[in-house]
Amino acid sequence: MYVFVKLIAVVLVTAVLGLRFDASLVSAQLGAEEDTTPPPADPLAPFNEKMFWFNLKLDDYLVRPVASGYAKIFPIGARRGVDRFFDNVGVVPRFANNLLQFRLVGAARELSRFLVNTTLGGVGFFDVADSWLGLKPSPADFGQTLWKYGVPSGPYLVLPFFGPSTIRDAVGLAADGAMHPLNYMDVLSTVEWLAIRSGAQVMYAINYRSMNLELFEDVDRYAVDLYGAVQDAYFQRRERELRATE
Amino acid sequence: MLRRWLAVCVMAGLPFLSFLPVVTWAVLSPLEVIRSGVNQAIAVLQDPAYQGTDRRQQRIAKVREVVLPLFDTREIAKRALGVYWRERTEEEQEQFVALFTELVEKTYSGTLDRYTANVEFYYDEERIEGNFADVATRIFDPAQQKTFSVVYKLHRVGDRWLIYDIVAENVSMVRNYRNQFNRILNKSSYEDLVQTIQNKIKELSVAPAPS
Repeated sequence: MYVFVKLIAVVLVTAVLGLRFDASLVSAQLGAEEDTTPPPADPLAPFNEKMFWFNLKLDDYLVRPVASGYAKIFPIGARRGVDRFFDNVGVVPRFANNLLQFRLVGAARELSRFLVNTTLGGVGFFDVADSWLGLKPSPADFGQTLWKYGVPSGPYLVLPFFGPSTIRDAVGLAADGAMHPLNYMDVLSTVEWLAIRSGAQVMYAINYRSMNLELFEDVDRYAVDLYGAVQDAYFQRRERELRATE
Repeated sequence: MLRRWLAVCVMAGLPFLSFLPVVTWAVLSPLEVIRSGVNQAIAVLQDPAYQGTDRRQQRIAKVREVVLPLFDTREIAKRALGVYWRERTEEEQEQFVALFTELVEKTYSGTLDRYTANVEFYYDEERIEGNFADVATRIFDPAQQKTFSVVYKLHRVGDRWLIYDIVAENVSMVRNYRNQFNRILNKSSYEDLVQTIQNKIKELSVAPAPS
């Protein structure tokens, strides 16, 4: 919680100082991609580079070996199911942020998907809401909501464990985490809560990593400047996610 | 204008009037360019004459022969260098185009080689605005149980549509290279960038992607 407050403070200070690091969103007009846009400012580069290498080493020595062993035991279909289960559990922030962004249809869709998939989809292992009823997900997060309300992204920020982000998206991540259903279970002690939360997070990460073994290695092998490749991929994907809310 | 030209041809009794429909027909739409390129590449990859690890080099060379003419390598290199392109002499630009093309070839030949008969291609739509076009496609990989989106960006050069960027899963290849190159150029020199790329090419040549 303390981290969350601190991050909000940083965002407010950044906003007040008027430091806008927002990369302009790609133009919808064909061929109009700016080929002269300089790379985004990275004032936190010294910190970011350290965190980036920390995450790489964490992946090399722990996450990837565990994930590839895990991938050998569980078939891809089962791992997709686990991913959908975690996705289903994370409905609260998606529903709330759809509402906060006045996307009422999106909010309704997320709620229906949760109800259908939790019951008929075997607690979310199967996405029958999509395959049977054509109910597509309507992803939404608090970083997006902040963007909608005009909060600047702030500088690029590499988080330990979580990877590429910005100040705004890091605040979003903390806020979305605070909405997790486990937080409302008063019967749990702090230790239990922490154990379950971090256990679930680790499980999710290993499962996710196991589904992307080749992808990660490809990027690693192909990049001329790995930090720059990952940074840009994050920005491009994120821009796309932000535009998708319009 | 065209009508007047036709009239002149008719009056002059020139036989090459008959070329006209042939020429217009020969211009493939952007989507057709991509579809035929992918089909030709797949045909090579599935050709019994090019199977097996020992024929890997010939296979890749043949795919290169089919695929490379579809790309506007100069435009790709120019966009990848961004603002720094104009700072280079013409000779350096030419060298950079060759170097960057080799990097991209070495980088993706391994990935391409992994695509065998199992992967399914879907051509969704083409969008044309003036001299620019987007061709939206999807690739389904049954092994991963996953669909990837791939958008080809083309522009018209003369009477042909050439690729100047590929956007895979919402990440533009050219823009991604530009960020990497610009970071190196901001910190050090152009010579250093060339050296880094040369090293990468060497690294990729020694250890090709596992197929």
